[in-house]
Parts: sequence; C-alpha cells; structure tokens
Amino acid sequence: MKLAGLKSIENAHDESVWAAAWIPATETRPALLMTGSLDETVKLWKPDELTLERTNTGHCLGVVSVAAHPSGAIAASASLDSFVRVFDVDSNTSIANLEAPPSEVWQMQFDPKGTTLAVAGGGSASVQLWNTDTWKLIATLSIPRPEGPKPSDKNSSKKFVLSVAWSPDGRRVACGSMDGTISVFDVARAKFLHHLEGHFMPVRSLVYSPADPRVLFSASDDAHVHMYDAEGKTMVAALSGHASWVLSVDASPDGAAVATGSSDRTVRLWDLSMRAAVQTMSNHGDQVWGVTFRPPGGPGPRVGRLASVSDDKSISLYDYS
Amino acid sequence: MVALLALDWAQAQLDGDGFGFGWGNSSLLRSSNSVGNGNSEEEVRVALDQLPRDASDILDILKAEQAPLDLWLIIAREYFKLGKLDQFRQILEEGSSHEIDEYYADVRYERIAILNALGAYYSYLGKIETKQREKEEYFIQATKHYNKASRIDMHEPSTWVGKGQLLLAKGEVEQASAAFRIVLEGDRDNVSALLGQACVEYNRGHYSESLTLYKRALQVYPDCPGALDPENVEALVSLAILDLQTNEAAGIKKGMEKMQRAFEIYPYCAMALNYLANHFFFTGQHFLVEQLTETALAVTNHGPTKSHSYYNLARSYHSKGDYETASRYYWASVKEINKPSEFVFPYYGLGQVQLKLGEIKNALSNFEKVLEVYPDNCETLKVLGHIHVQLGQTEKAQEFLRKATKIDPRDAEAFLDLGELLISTDTVAALDALKTARSLLKKGGEEVPIEVLNNIAVIHFEREELELALQTFKEALGDGIWLTFLEGKAKTYEIDATSSLLQYKDMQIFHRLEEEGLSVGLSWNKVTTLFNLARLLEQLHNTETASTLYRLILFKYPDYIDAFLRLAAIAKARNNLQLSIELVNEALKVNDKCANALSMLGDLELKNDDWVKAKETFRAASEATDGKDSYATLSLVCILFIVHTALGSLKIFGVLPTLTFLGNWNYFAAIRNEKRNPKLEATHLEKAKELYTRVLVQHTANLYAANGAGVVLAEKGHFDVQEAASGSIFVQMPDVWINLAHVYFAQGNFALAVKMYQNCLRKFFYNTDSQILLYLARTHYEAEQWQDCKRTLLRAIHLSPSNYTLRFDAGVAMQKFSASTLQKTKRTVDEVRSTVDELENAVRLFSQLSAASNLHFHGFDEKKINTHVEYCKHLLEAAKVHREAAEREEQQNRQRLDLARQMALAEEARRKAEEQRKFQLERRKQEDELKRVRQQEEHFERVKEQWKSSTSASKRRDRSDIDDGEGGHSEKRRRKGGKRRKKEKSSRSRYETEEADMMDDHDEPEDEDANLNYREPGYQMNDQEDNVEENAQDVLAAAGLEDSDAEDDAFVDAKAAPSSAGRRRRAWSESDEDEIPERKTQSSLLQENSAELQDSDGEFRDDTNRQQENAAVDDED
Repeated sequence: MKLAGLKSIENAHDESVWAAAWIPATETRPALLMTGSLDETVKLWKPDELTLERTNTGHCLGVVSVAAHPSGAIAASASLDSFVRVFDVDSNTSIANLEAPPSEVWQMQFDPKGTTLAVAGGGSASVQLWNTDTWKLIATLSIPRPEGPKPSDKNSSKKFVLSVAWSPDGRRVACGSMDGTISVFDVARAKFLHHLEGHFMPVRSLVYSPADPRVLFSASDDAHVHMYDAEGKTMVAALSGHASWVLSVDASPDGAAVATGSSDRTVRLWDLSMRAAVQTMSNHGDQVWGVTFRPPGGPGPRVGRLASVSDDKSISLYDYS
Repeated sequence: MVALLALDWAQAQLDGDGFGFGWGNSSLLRSSNSVGNGNSEEEVRVALDQLPRDASDILDILKAEQAPLDLWLIIAREYFKLGKLDQFRQILEEGSSHEIDEYYADVRYERIAILNALGAYYSYLGKIETKQREKEEYFIQATKHYNKASRIDMHEPSTWVGKGQLLLAKGEVEQASAAFRIVLEGDRDNVSALLGQACVEYNRGHYSESLTLYKRALQVYPDCPGALDPENVEALVSLAILDLQTNEAAGIKKGMEKMQRAFEIYPYCAMALNYLANHFFFTGQHFLVEQLTETALAVTNHGPTKSHSYYNLARSYHSKGDYETASRYYWASVKEINKPSEFVFPYYGLGQVQLKLGEIKNALSNFEKVLEVYPDNCETLKVLGHIHVQLGQTEKAQEFLRKATKIDPRDAEAFLDLGELLISTDTVAALDALKTARSLLKKGGEEVPIEVLNNIAVIHFEREELELALQTFKEALGDGIWLTFLEGKAKTYEIDATSSLLQYKDMQIFHRLEEEGLSVGLSWNKVTTLFNLARLLEQLHNTETASTLYRLILFKYPDYIDAFLRLAAIAKARNNLQLSIELVNEALKVNDKCANALSMLGDLELKNDDWVKAKETFRAASEATDGKDSYATLSLVCILFIVHTALGSLKIFGVLPTLTFLGNWNYFAAIRNEKRNPKLEATHLEKAKELYTRVLVQHTANLYAANGAGVVLAEKGHFDVQEAASGSIFVQMPDVWINLAHVYFAQGNFALAVKMYQNCLRKFFYNTDSQILLYLARTHYEAEQWQDCKRTLLRAIHLSPSNYTLRFDAGVAMQKFSASTLQKTKRTVDEVRSTVDELENAVRLFSQLSAASNLHFHGFDEKKINTHVEYCKHLLEAAKVHREAAEREEQQNRQRLDLARQMALAEEARRKAEEQRKFQLERRKQEDELKRVRQQEEHFERVKEQWKSSTSASKRRDRSDIDDGEGGHSEKRRRKGGKRRKKEKSSRSRYETEEADMMDDHDEPEDEDANLNYREPGYQMNDQEDNVEENAQDVLAAAGLEDSDAEDDAFVDAKAAPSSAGRRRRAWSESDEDEIPERKTQSSLLQENSAELQDSDGEFRDDTNRQQENAAVDDED
C-alpha cells in the first residue's frame, strides 16, 4: 500500500485548519472534502483538483470539528463556542443549531445509518446523541464518575470527552477522554459498558475499523496509536513511531490500513498486517490536525483518497492504493 | 613482538663476539707456524712454555742473535697466549721499531706481520674499551700500524684483512666490506677475508650470505678453528647462534644442539648460558632459565652479558606473574646498561611490569626510552598512548596512537585504541578510526568484536545518524531472537496479550516464544548493545519494539536496572504513572540504593501529587549518595520549601530539576514575600544571585544556574545582563528561550517576545504547549493585538480543551477588545458589529464557564464569572446601542450621500430650469421686442392700413401669440409657489427632529437604560426616513447632531463620570486588570522562574491600578 501526493492547497484557509471530513457523493455530485478552520469558516472542496465549492460562515471562534451525514445531503460543523450548525450541503441553508449547555462540542460523528449524531461533550464527561429528523437530544451517554468523595477539579477534567466514534454496525459508541481512557457505550440501551485502558494522555481521535466492528483505533498525545478489541476489552497492538501527539486517526475503507496525523508534522500510513508504519509524508509544515479517507461510492473511478489538514493552513490530497 | 626484538638484540650483541671470534681466528691462522730459528747458526732454544717474565731478556737475545723476525712474532704470540700482554706488546713494538726496519729492510713479510699483529691488538683493545677517548686512542694506534704495514707492501692481503677488522670494530661496515673485498679480489679463497666478509654480511643482517661465506671459508680451509677445535666453546656458540639466526626450526634445533655441546664442554660460558636460558624461556622451563641465568651471572662480569642474564631472569618472573621480582631483575638489568640503545628490552619489560604495578609515571619514562631507540615501534607507541590516557593526557595519547596507526596502517588494534580514545573528544575522527579498524579486521578475516561495532553505532547514534546506527547495531548483535522483534514478526503472538496496563511488564511473549521452540537467548556481552539498540529505537519513536527489547533483557537478566528505568521512563512519558512507579520499584528491589531509581521515583510521586512520599524518596536518594547527588538533594530542599511555604498546587517541579533549587528558594522567598519589603527582597535576590553564581563557578556548564542568575538579574532590572548571561550558549534549553522572551516582554519589545515564544514552541514543543501559547497570548494582549491574542488563546484551547482558564482568558480578551473598540473615537460600522459579535461570544463563554463552575469543572469563583457575565452583558447592551448608532450613522452617511446626489440632481434641475427660464426670458424679451417691433410694425401697418386697408387674418395670429406667452408665464409662477410650500414644510420637520435629538442628547447621560434611551432616536430615525426624501437639510442637521452625540457618548464612557457607564467601565477595569494577572499567577507559575517575572509584572500592574480599584470599590459601596 502506498500514498502518493496528488494536490496541496497552501493557504486554503486564513488560519489553522483544524477539521476535515468527506461528504459522501450523491447522485448529482461527487464526494466533497469539508474542512473547518480557526478562521471561523467551513469550506467545501471538490476533488481531485480541490477547487473551492463554497465557503460557509456563521461560526464564532474556531471550527473544531466537521461531520457529514452518510447520505451526503447534510453536514454538521462545530466550533469552540459550543454550537453545532447543521446545514444542507448543496444549499448551505441552516437546518438546525444544536446546543446542549454546559457541554462543549468536540469531535462529532453521524451513525452509519444516519439517524443519530453523536457529539463529544467535553467537560460534561458525556456524549450527546441527537436525532437527525427532529434535531432533538435523544440521549446523553455519561461516563460514570469515579467513586470517591466530592469530585475535585482533577477528576472531572480527567473525563473530559474529546473524541467519539460509532461502530460500523451502529450498536456501539466509543468516546475518548483527556485522561486517556476510552469508554464504550451500548447505544440501544444508552448504557455504559466498559473502559479501554492503555493511554494515559488525551485521546483526540477514535475510529472503528470498517472491516471489523470490534476493532477500534485510538490516537493519543502519548504518540501512540492503539488498536483495541473494543468488545473484549483488550489491546491488540500499540503502534509507535510518531514523535509527538497523534492528533487524528482514520481507517481506510478496505480496513487494511490506518492513517494518522500528528503534531510532529507528519502523516503516517500504517499497514495493519505488519502493524508498522509503511510510509511517512512530511509535506506539512505544522501539526496535522486531521486525516480522513474518502468513503467509497459515488460516480467516477473507485480510487482511494486521503486528505490531510494542518495548522500550516494547507490541505493535502493523496492517492491511496 | 617482544620476543622477536629480543632475538634482534641478541644478534646485535653477538656482533661483538662474532668479531672477536673472527679476529682471533685470523691472528691464530697467521701465527700457526711451528717454532724454529733457521737463520741462526747457533741455536738458542727458548722453551715457549718457559718464557721469562721480563720480555727484555728475550728481546736482548733476539737482537743479539739477529733472530729472524718470525721468531719475534712467535715469541710475542706465546706471550699473548700466556696473557702477558705487556711483554707481547713490548716485543712487537721492538720488532717494528726503526732499527729493525733498517736492519731487516728486506724482510718485508715478517715486518708486516708484526705491524699487523700490533694493529690487531690495538683494534681489539679499542673494541673492548668502553671509554670513548681511550677507545679512539687505540683505534688510532691500530690504524697507524696498519698504515705502516701498507707502506711496506700495498698489496699484502693480511694488512687489508686487518684493516677490515679494524673498520668493523669501528662500526664502519661498508668500508670494512670494501677492505675485505680488495683481498678477496686478489685471492677469493682468503679465509680471513672470507671470515671478515661473513662478519660484515652478518652485521648487515644478511645472515644467509654470511652463512655461505662462513661455509666457503670452511670449504677452503677445513681446518678452520671451529672445525679444527671441536672443543672451542666460543666457536661453537657463534656457530650455534648463526644456526639460530636462520629462524628455521631445523636451524634452531641444530643451533641449540651446538649450544648444548658448548655448554657441556664449558658450562660457564655466560653467552651460551644466556642463550640456553633464552631457549628454555620459550619452551617454558622457567626453572632451568633461572638456574642457567644465575650461573651466567656468577661467571661473568661483562656488563651486557650480565644485563642479558638479568633480563632473562626478569622475563621469567614476569611471565610467572611475579611482578615485584621481575621488576627488581629488570631494574638490575637496566643498571648494567650504559645506554638504552645497547639493550633496550629490559626497559620495555620494566615498563610493562611497572604498568602492572601501577607505577605509571616510571613506566612512562621507561617506554619513552624504548621509543628513543625504536621511534617507530608500534607496540611502544600504543603502550605510551595508553599510559597517556591513564594520565589523562589525551592529546599526547592521541598523538602516539595516531603515529602508531600511521606507521602500521594495518594495525587494527591501534585504530581501535585510537578510536576509543577519540570518542570523547572528536567523534568524527573516532568514527573514522573505528571504521578503519572494522574494515581491517574484516579484511583479515577476523570477527569484529561486538564492542567495536557497538562503539561505532553509538557514535552514529550520537551524531544522529540514526539509520546507520541501527544498521551497525544490528550487525553487532548478529542473529538472535531480537531480529524477530525488530522485523515485527513476533507481534503476531502478541494478539491476545491481555492487560494493557501491564504491557511494559509482560514477559509472556518470551515464554510463548520459548514454548514454540524458538530459543530466547541473549549472551551477556550483547546485553549492552541490545540496550543501546533499544535506546536508539526509542529515539526513532519505535517505543513498542524498544520496550520489547528491554523486557527481553530483563527476561534474561532480571537485575539489569537500567532496563527497568528505561521502561519506567517510557511509561512515564506516556503518563502511565502507576506502571512507571511499579517498574521503578522493581528496579529498587534489585538495588534499593540506586540513586537514579530513587530520584525517578521521587519525580513520579511528585507527579502523582504525593508530596510526603516524594520527600521521603528524595531524602533516601540523597542519603544513598551521601548527599553527592545534587538532584535529589535539591529536589528535597525544594519540596521542603514548598511544603513549608504552603504554595500548595504550584507545580514548580516539572521545570526545576536543577542544582539551583537553593537559588530558586531565595528567589521565591523574595518574590513571595507578601508585604514586599524592599529591603528584604533585595537581600533575598542578592542571596539568590550569589547562589547561582556559586553554582556557575563550580559548573560553568550548568545552564539552569545561568538561567536562574539571569532571572534574578532580570528581576533586578538588569535586562542586558540577562541577555548576556543566557545568551546563545544555552539554545538547547527551552526555559532559556522562554525567559528571554519574558525579558523582551518586560522590556516592552513585544514583537521580539512573540518571535521568541513562537520559535521556542516550534523548536521544542512541536507547537503543542498551551502554556507558551498562553504567554504568547499575553504578549499580544499587552501589545493590544486583540485578534492575535484571541486566536492564540483559541489555539491553546484547542490544544488543551479541558483548561477552562484559557476560555476565561479568551473571554477577557474579547471583552477587552470590545471595550477598546468602543473607546475609539473613529470606528467603522463593521468594527462595531464585530465588537458586538465578540461581546456575544464573551457573554456566551462566561455563561458557559459560570454553568460549568456549578459542576466543579474548574476552580473559578462563580461570583467572579458572573460579574464578568454581567459586565459583558452591560457592555453588550452598550455596544448594541453603539452598533445601532453606528449603523444609523452609516445609514445616514449613505443617506447623506444619496441626498447629496439628489441635491446635486435638484441643483442641476434648478440650474437647467433657470437656464430655461433665462432662455425663455430672453426669448420673451426677444419676443417682446419682436412683438413690440411687430406691434409697432402692426401699428405701423395698421396705421398704414388705417391709412390704407387692414386684414382680419393677421390680427388673429397676433392674439394667439400673446396668449402663448402668458400661459408659459403663469405655469412658471405656479411651480414657484409649490417650491415655497415645500420649503416651509421641510424646515418645520427639521426643527422637530432637532428638538428630539437634542432631548435625546441631554437625556442620555442621566438615563440608566441606554437601550430604552436609544429606542427613541431609532424610532425617530424611521420618521426621518419618511421625511428624508423631502428634505436634505434636515438629514444633514440630524447627522451633525448624531456626530456630536456619538462623541458625547464615547466621552462619557471614557471619562468615567458618575454614571452607569462609568461604573461599568470601572467594573470592567477592575475585573479585567485583576483577572489577567491572576491568570498569570495561576498559569505561569507552572513555568518556574519565568512565572515570577510575570507575576511580579502583574503585581506591578496591580499597584498602578489600585487606586482605580479603590475608587471602583467606593463607587460600588
């Protein structure tokens, strides 16, 4: 497997680019790359030339995460001011503004069927689930607070939820916290199942393997990517190689590889059969905040694409084969 | 090498004996005639064994009898044989006197023989004489005699042979060879010449040629003394030595046989004894060696021989390991030698033994003596190199080793030594040397020692050539289980590894591998290399494999503390404190006094906020090293200090792992003194500076101390010195960068400070340190770059989302930004609009924080946040008003423009109308004129008609003309009237609005509710909008008023008049100015000294604001 640089856009945003996600293709258009930045805008780009489709404004403070509905019709973007803006991809009309104080908003993800949006709720130590029809809050999955006397500053900030991921079968939601623990929830019963341990520093990104609903990848500030059996509560492997925080992880649609972006300014491709980094891209000049594989489907040739976004204001597109 | 040299020396030594032997031979040959006196009629019988004591008697007889000269010679020889050298000389000298020359003028040969005998005698004397002057004297004598002989007959071969011998004795080998060759050209079978030439060849080291010559001499003259006299010990010894020199097993054997025979014949020949001893030394029969050499010592007084014997003895003891005795005998041997050049081996041996005995200086001088004799001897050079290393004179050591490698570029060992020596000083050269050694070893088919490869790899590692290092480590380790891990093959077994918490302690993998039949072996000499490899992998961020290798080491050698500590360090880096502590405890189980482990444990406990335990641990660490481990000691001091001063949660430790805690202590004491007694502060600062300086004096390279000193100086206001102190030396330490940035900041050089912070972030922290971002934000804040400040804070929030302080700061920054925009006298609507947005964000942020504080997310005082929320809300209201005002202004501006345009249009129209009117007037005038003319004409016509006759048609036309003119006029008049009406109306409305605005203006300062206040003008503005089309003047007036209004408003805001706005502002200034420094204290103290800089700065600002604060408090009261 191999990554080959296709296109890079310098100064794609006026400020650091913090988030990226692919909007799946619809019948009328191909898949789009959506990026969010500190410059308070969300931009949509058309591959492979990365031509700018549209610039969405309407956020205050930096855009920290973006998520696309599996249908490709709607998408959500969230900023540091804790608002989630849900909008129609093609028209950019706002569909809903979500807010669930006192939760902040960090990573978001639509469930594979597209009925629910999961939002990592930061300091509330919980994940909010929003119904995508009514845009009403259906459930709040809270991490059980550790026993002990009065929760102090320390404890509470430890369970600060940063990242969230849906299992491909839609039955599980996993969320990662500042203290490095990963919590797995049963969605149907809205019930906390167990913790996955191994990290002791913030887990900023989580993704389930599309090939195996049990396998979960986590990216942490400890410079490691862990591969867990999320059901069996065991760690399958720890991938080391990054020199600094691992900020983002995504699994390839074929499930054979994962890509990571790190503070060490590199993007790495990991071969899961070898459990080792097979390629390191160092085209970015600053922290790589997001890596994302394009989902399969849509018109056009079925080739793998990986996009990465960085603090250096640039976005890059790679061919994955 | 030593042994070989010994033989060399032996040859050199033998030269003397070889020569003596040759000389002896030649003289014997010449005088081996039977005794007879043929020329005499009377026979005088002289019994050769009964020669008189006084040679004069014989001389008298010889002279009286006119005995033939050969008889003189015979008698002289007999005296010589008897050892009566004086008589011998007397006879010969008499025999070569002038009288004899004259008398026996014809007897040339005998005369020559006598002279030659004398020459040979003096040659011998010269040879054995040790004193230089006498020696030369003898040689001169000898030369004189030989020259005399030559004068008698130029071609006498025996003279040439004698000369040759003399030259040999003088050491002039080439000339000697020439002399012998002259003889051999005349008679190629001249035995003496052959023997001489053999001796020359021997001296030149051409042993085989020498041997052939000797053999030829034997062939020519089979009765050669050696063969002739099988009992001639010296000859036997010489031949034996010759045989030994062949260096072939058979030759040596033959030589030894001869030597043995010589020994059997005459057991007291020191030379033979020495050689036998030498032989037995090599065969290892030390007992014999000692006996033989002791005998040799007993029988000889000859210095060099004795020295040789002592040397043999010493060597024997040396090889047995009895260095004391060996040293004594070497010493004895050395004492027998006048010049080291004569026999250098004892010096070498002595040096070796002294090295063993630790007398390095003495050894040095001995080896230096050896080097004088053999300046190119590699062994000696290497040994000297080592000695200099031991004496710490690396430069000299390098010099010697370099020379050694130059002399023998194939000596891998020398390169190795050199490489090892250079490692600490010049890695590049070391690497070269080691690589050369490696390739030499490889070329020689030898296995490269693992240490060499390890060293090469380590150098690569240190030079950050990580790939090369990796390769070399792999080469060093060779085959083994580690390859499985390195290539990641073994990971497949790891799948069901269970508890991830214990991942760095897990040994199952090795058991499993063993079960699968793989050998999990690790030989002891590879452990270090494997450990290094693991370190390298860590550096390459391949932590997982590194940990596996560490565990492999521990699996095989569970006492390898360093591996435990590395594993603990990995766990610590990953923030897995529990595991890290466990691992350190494992290490402590192996050695509970290991200071490193204890220090690390202390650190971990601190990280875990376990202060009391940490204190104990550091104390233990300190005790473990008798207080020499400054880290532990000072950590302890620091803890005590912190515990005692109850600074609580200030986490100074992360940045204070230094020798300089004491200095810091004083520093903090100065800073932390609540009352800030200036005198006390000065004392503390002075003390701190002193301490830092002291550390600096002891360890010039201690950056921490320099840094600390810099901070103190900075605190005292000596910024320049700080820069100098930190300077460029310590660019590797982020703290220095940060402190420098702080200094720039304090100097007000914000641009540089920003640059400094940014560089530091990028260089050391991969831009991930939110703390430095916070400093950066603060710099922007002070530089009033609000947007940069906000962005930086947002970045920091993004990096540490759970740090609510950052959110609070972001809120404050936005609040400040808004306030400052509102204070500006000139601002655009966009600015005001963004201000409002910003305020809304700020309100939102503060409210969120307020809500969060209910959940105890962070340590903020809810009240304070609420104050902020309230204040921001207030500000927001005001800002909204401003926005509306600004928007209105903008609208008005637009309207003004519109109106101006309209007015311009109206003006144009009016001008056109005027023109039209003028034109019409003109035309009317003309028409009137015309009419008048016409009328006059008509009149005239009429008159004429009246005079003559008039027509009705012309009259009709005339009337219509007049009507036309009147109609145009009236129309115009109507229009004018309309205009006047309009004017009246507009002026009325203008007064109305003016009034309203005035009221508004007056009301505003008094009215608490600005919003309510402003609804009116807004309302009115709508009115105006209706009116606006009607009258431009109105709008202009209103706009003018609006301007003044805005100014008033801003004024009110800025002047802090006793109004709500004023109070608001003060509330803001209080909370803001108060909050930022507080934030500083909270956050910045994480960063050691730098924090203090900020803190003090903050406090300074506090002072300046105090008055205002007081005022605010009063106001609130």
